[in-house]
Amino acid sequence: MANREHVVGDISDFPEGSHKVVKVGRREIGVFNIAGRFYGLPNVCPHQTGPLCEGKTTTGTLVARKGNDWRFEWDYEGEIVACPWHGLEYHVPTGRCLAFSNINLRRYEVVVEDGKVKVRL
Amino acid sequence: VAETETGQKGRKEKLEDLLVVDCDVHVHESPGELAPYCDMPWRKALENVADVEEYYLDIPGFSPGMTWYEARFPSGHEGRRMVHSAEQMREELDEIHVDIGVLFPDHLLKLAMITQAEYAAALARAYNAWLLEKWCSQEKGLLGCIIACPQDPEDAAREIRRYAREPGMVGVYLPCAGLDPLWGHRRYDPIYEAAQETDLPVLLHSVTVVHPVFPFNLHVFETEFGRHICGHTFSIMANLVHMISAGVPVRYPDLRIACTEVGISWVPFLMNRMDKEYLERRREIPILEERPSHYLKKFYYATQPVEEPENLHDLVTLMELYDGEDRTIFASDWPHHDFDHPSKVHQIPFSSEVRRKVFGENALRLFKIDAQGNRLNL
Repeated sequence: MANREHVVGDISDFPEGSHKVVKVGRREIGVFNIAGRFYGLPNVCPHQTGPLCEGKTTTGTLVARKGNDWRFEWDYEGEIVACPWHGLEYHVPTGRCLAFSNINLRRYEVVVEDGKVKVRL
Repeated sequence: VAETETGQKGRKEKLEDLLVVDCDVHVHESPGELAPYCDMPWRKALENVADVEEYYLDIPGFSPGMTWYEARFPSGHEGRRMVHSAEQMREELDEIHVDIGVLFPDHLLKLAMITQAEYAAALARAYNAWLLEKWCSQEKGLLGCIIACPQDPEDAAREIRRYAREPGMVGVYLPCAGLDPLWGHRRYDPIYEAAQETDLPVLLHSVTVVHPVFPFNLHVFETEFGRHICGHTFSIMANLVHMISAGVPVRYPDLRIACTEVGISWVPFLMNRMDKEYLERRREIPILEERPSHYLKKFYYATQPVEEPENLHDLVTLMELYDGEDRTIFASDWPHHDFDHPSKVHQIPFSSEVRRKVFGENALRLFKIDAQGNRLNL
């Protein structure tokens, strides 16, 4: 099936660091502007179907790596969304679930053309 | 999985077509709300903290606090949902397909930690009166539990008898967080006597606190991850060990006992562990007429926080280990941060018959109500 584009707003509706949930047909899609790049994720958490893109803000999160003697580090600033129901964290640019590596979200392509933000299905 | 998910009639009933009784939802009681229902001089103290800033289950002089021992980093997950009215509760339970919700408090989950017994009893009386007037409604499918003040068991027994014939009250809530002594102590006999006499079940419910009594000496953990795992489960296990040691189910054979917010996977462990000890130490608890697991199998266990093993059939097996098909009851814990949407329990590959029991029929038997929430023992 050919990709179809759906205009979901003007670029001014999505300032840097913001996100919002848009409806495309029956789908709810979270559209994120992270440092000028746009990402789209489904607004359904695979855990218990929570509205995962309705968290108020994207943040960074804590990681610990061997190279830093497993100390706490703050990373992924602005790239993490947490489901408001149970807090399950996702890395927006990759759709990767931080707690469970077997969960990867579908990613929707979001493009900006002529000042319009468009989701490609 | 598809095959085991279908029952005798071949099709899995949809969640919205099932009777769903939710055995644990939380109302939000604030000091200002309870003040008009509270006796003096304690009303004065409630009015005095009515406007203080509220943290999650933490208000000075009302719900002794444990607000975040660790560093607080930004997160999109606030986990501070509250339900402020019966109307709001009804709307939100509709969204998760719940027909009947059984009401527990927010802040007064910590009632047992109040050090002044008279204040604790006054809070319990105020809460019971407020709950009945503002929340309990058979029409709305919202049914209350009378809170039993552990610091004043005689007054708790009076409260149970006071409200026992109210159509909107269906159980007695036994607070567990910070409790000392545990619920098997003979000082609580008046509560059990009143509950058995009035045909109301007792429901244990804990919450995570840091307090110098087992198992709440949770300062040993650096994280809420550790504290929250232990605060609920070990509290309920400790209370059940204590109650069975003290022969509560022998002395009150008609008393119905339920555990909430503790999941179910520990029940087989506790049965086996207690039976093993009983082999050697029966003479310490000669009151028992049967092995401990005999009594544990008669208690009711609420699902939330339901375990989520990769293979959900493991939960069917776990339930079979404690003969749980007639004793497991659904709970969501709405609106708390770790609530379960019923869709998760709905995914468990039960037979249709067991699914109906877990979602509703077992709870109807526990509370002696019909599917419309009418009490059958009035």
